Amino acid sequence: MSASTVMVVLYLLLAIMVVAFAVRTIRIAKYPVHLRWELSPVPHEKGRGAYGGSYLEEFEWWTKPREKSLINEGIYMFKEIVFLKALWEHNRRMWYFSFPFHFGLYILFVMAVLLVLGSIASLLNLPTPGIGLVANGVPFLAGIGYVLGGIGALGLFAGRLFSQRLKPVTTPSSFINLGLLLAFFITGVLAVFSTDNFAYQATVFAQAFVTVYFAGEVTGPLAIHLIVAGIFLAYLPFTQMMHFVAKYFTYHEVRWDDEPLEAGSKMEAEIQELLQQTVTWAAPHIGADGKKNWVDIATSPPAEETE
Amino acid sequence: MMSEKIRVKDIGKNPDRNLTTIRPEELIPLPPPYDDFEEQPDWKELSKGARENLVCNLDGFVAVSLPKPQNAEEEKKYVDQFVDGMKKLLSRENNWTFLQPLMLSLEYCIGCQTCSDSCHVFEGSGDNEIYRPTYRSEVFRRLVNKYAKPGGKFTAALNGADVDLNWTTITRLAELAYRCNLCRRCAQVCPIGVDNGLITHEIRKVFSQELGWAPKDLHEKGTVLQLEVGSSTGMNSLVAKDNVEFIDEDMTDITGIEVETCWDKENADVLLLHNAGEIMAWPENPGAFAIILEKAGIDWTLSSEQVGYDGVNYGLFYDDFQLARIALKHAGTAKNLKVNKIVMGECGHEHKALMTIADRVLTGEMSVNRESCLPFLEEIVFSGKIEFDPSKNDFPVTLHDPCNIVRNLGIVEPQRRILKYLCPQFREMTPHGVDNYCCGGGSGFAVMSVNNFTDWRVNIASRTKFKQILDAFADQPGPEVQKYLCAPCSNCKGEIRDMLHYYNALEKSSITYGGLVELIVNAMVDVKEPFIEWEMH
Repeated sequence: MSASTVMVVLYLLLAIMVVAFAVRTIRIAKYPVHLRWELSPVPHEKGRGAYGGSYLEEFEWWTKPREKSLINEGIYMFKEIVFLKALWEHNRRMWYFSFPFHFGLYILFVMAVLLVLGSIASLLNLPTPGIGLVANGVPFLAGIGYVLGGIGALGLFAGRLFSQRLKPVTTPSSFINLGLLLAFFITGVLAVFSTDNFAYQATVFAQAFVTVYFAGEVTGPLAIHLIVAGIFLAYLPFTQMMHFVAKYFTYHEVRWDDEPLEAGSKMEAEIQELLQQTVTWAAPHIGADGKKNWVDIATSPPAEETE
Repeated sequence: MMSEKIRVKDIGKNPDRNLTTIRPEELIPLPPPYDDFEEQPDWKELSKGARENLVCNLDGFVAVSLPKPQNAEEEKKYVDQFVDGMKKLLSRENNWTFLQPLMLSLEYCIGCQTCSDSCHVFEGSGDNEIYRPTYRSEVFRRLVNKYAKPGGKFTAALNGADVDLNWTTITRLAELAYRCNLCRRCAQVCPIGVDNGLITHEIRKVFSQELGWAPKDLHEKGTVLQLEVGSSTGMNSLVAKDNVEFIDEDMTDITGIEVETCWDKENADVLLLHNAGEIMAWPENPGAFAIILEKAGIDWTLSSEQVGYDGVNYGLFYDDFQLARIALKHAGTAKNLKVNKIVMGECGHEHKALMTIADRVLTGEMSVNRESCLPFLEEIVFSGKIEFDPSKNDFPVTLHDPCNIVRNLGIVEPQRRILKYLCPQFREMTPHGVDNYCCGGGSGFAVMSVNNFTDWRVNIASRTKFKQILDAFADQPGPEVQKYLCAPCSNCKGEIRDMLHYYNALEKSSITYGGLVELIVNAMVDVKEPFIEWEMH
């Protein structure tokens, strides 16, 4: 198949992905500051994170310096992201498929980075070790990544089909998500094992893609795989599969957000502004009249119930 | 394992029968001598009047006491209001307080069900589908997706559009929002960080803040009464002062230590803020505090200002505005007295409401220093100001971790250091600390006893905790050894009282319960007679 056709389709799909990804991420980040809702353990609590303790264990905590350990937080996140620690500890039967699925994706991500770096190295006529790394590394990583991911996705798909435990919260989109992922892994496996010199083909395409050079051909299986991958990536930001971004916020901005309000801080200024917003909740005891703001309501007694 | 298969969409169907039926034989078994469910008291039948007039078609139990609608127009009015409420919940203006955590939890659950096994209600019920943490969240998520989000009706087919929006759905959902203790154990294990406890909290808010629906024990007899009279117990400040005076006299008689509580002292170091329920139900607790503070030479006071003598804040459980109104009163009391700090009494939800949740609404001059009684007591116990004899506490003691103090605030070790020092036979429950199980009284349940709800609480919500307590004392299970369950939280004690009473655990196992300060006073050398009474309070 003509590489240029594949490239045009891919550019379009990736553009959708980038825009949708950015819009959704910015939307989460732009939500206003919320009330504290932390949940132990908070790993950045130095010397206490391991058992779930917090600075509130200190006598007159406000007189003591806050000691945080970002290293502990990093270790926690590393174990969670790479090994899916929470799933291992609390839902082992799902971990057996979720781990290979996610780890397969991570490997393929590394492969993609390697391909792009290799392409750039080749274009810049850098010494051959980089090229050698791509030549040997890409097929190896691709083989493992697609197979592991495929096994995981198949298990997760089967779970959605047959598990009485999962069925109640399984929606049509669950099957579409996993179906697309399965298609991605299966076409990936087919592309790797049916393409002569996969690393070379992939590198050539990556170079063309990076340099926007519309020429050459890609094999049928590789072209199909690339388009499936593009469709998946364009679809991803519209689904709950964006949880890898959401997870940053659920952990850092909710569970671990134990920052006390300080007088004169930026947060206090933002909250003062939020408190000026007009409230329109309709229950009688709130006493909202379309004009009162949060401060007006919170500083007045509950309105008389009329019903 | 329940045999009944209940689907998410069933919530809106078959209004003439219960969505599920709870059968005692399907609940998780308890160890002997509590293993024969036929020996337990029968569950209270709903009265004919309640069956005829109240919505009671969820599981046969009634917590919210919603009157049945008069006609179809009334049904429609409330359904429309519910949709308006969902939209307001998603708006920055009306719900900035929890918008980000809510949206993250609504939009990113992948349905892995990891949360299910962590939930004591789901487990205690023998895995009843409607108590699964994701069940009510999924109902609400599908309604929000279809009716409260722009374009929701177009994408609904993909997201599961099968939940009918009708009177049956919203009333069962309102009732179901009061089958979760908001303990957040499920959120703790979620790999994504989704919080089904928070979703439940937000569902309660829609009903309270938009439709005016909330359990009477939390609203009319709770926050409204507290703001009107001064305390959710109904005590005005004069009655509270009288009662404390009696408690002081009792304490002096019992211990020989002269106790005189100081009221409204300006510039004191400590404003002690009890849950006023302690004054009524467990007077030995504020009494023990007074003894400890007197002996340690602390400059402390209580306040008689309206609301300032009751640390209760049930707004935490269902309504942001009631929460803020009460929290502002508490902070205002401290400001007026110009104290150095407020010290929370042994009350978990008071801790959470005033120390963290209200932290970001106490702006400007309302920002006052707030401290838990647990590190405060630890400082006193290890200061050397009071002499202790731990052998006076030489009986089996275990510790219940109140979710609002431990899991939600991370105050884990101070109470343990005290117990390890003062109680030679202290032993932990499994699991404990931040992994503890809720007592079953969390989120206001401990004070909700209308209709037949107490039976639901003690049989299902408290079941896992009761099993844990029995397991902690498994080495001395019989009634010949007196055992003490330390629960430094007023609402937890309320639930534990009902649970132990229901199972007759004082007689069968000699298990009694109380707070931490009672154990501290019991170990004081200056207190000659035993302070702890081995009876059911």
